[in-house]
Amino acid sequence: MPAIRNRIRELRAERDLTQQDLADKVGVTRQTVIAMEQDKYSPSLETAFKVAIALGVSLEQCFQYDGRGKR
Amino acid sequence: MPSLSYREKSLYASLLAELIVYGPYFIRHHQQPLNTVAGMIAAVVVLQIIAQSIIAASTRNRVTDERDRLIELRGYRAGYLTLASLMVFGLGLLWMHTAAGDFHLENHHMGIHFLNVFFAMLVIADITKTVAQIVAYRRAL
Repeated sequence: MPAIRNRIRELRAERDLTQQDLADKVGVTRQTVIAMEQDKYSPSLETAFKVAIALGVSLEQCFQYDGRGKR
Repeated sequence: MPSLSYREKSLYASLLAELIVYGPYFIRHHQQPLNTVAGMIAAVVVLQIIAQSIIAASTRNRVTDERDRLIELRGYRAGYLTLASLMVFGLGLLWMHTAAGDFHLENHHMGIHFLNVFFAMLVIADITKTVAQIVAYRRAL
């Protein structure tokens, strides 16, 4: 299990946003959104903030840190 | 068929161009004269320009982000490690042959031989870099 997990897919679905919509708002590729949603890529702090802002939530609501997970 | 980002398409095109041009070089395994090596480099450059132009023209979204840059760095690391390993291996062989006395610098084919060996090392390192980047993209990182 990765150390940093996120609720991007869930929050995005609640807001009826496509992966491309979110990617455009954040300024990343759709493939990066897919990788983040699958917990295969942990974004930089700056991108994490941009994702949270784009989804209208705080950073903690979007990303969670699990110290037992692998980094 | 998974969707490919602009960078991924570009990498596949680079790999294809390199394999098309350098493939016969490795398969035939002959010592190529200087003109042939220069011709191959020119062919790769021309093929790359054509392929990258087509991809750029046909791809609407050409955004690159931090993940692309991270994958690029990983590719360069793999390429560097390959090149360094090959250089150490080559220098070791050179030392062994010199010590055994079967290495004659006065041989006029030696220059072409060295050119081909170093060129092959660069090509292998570059292909390794591209493949490492493609693998990183396919594994999501």
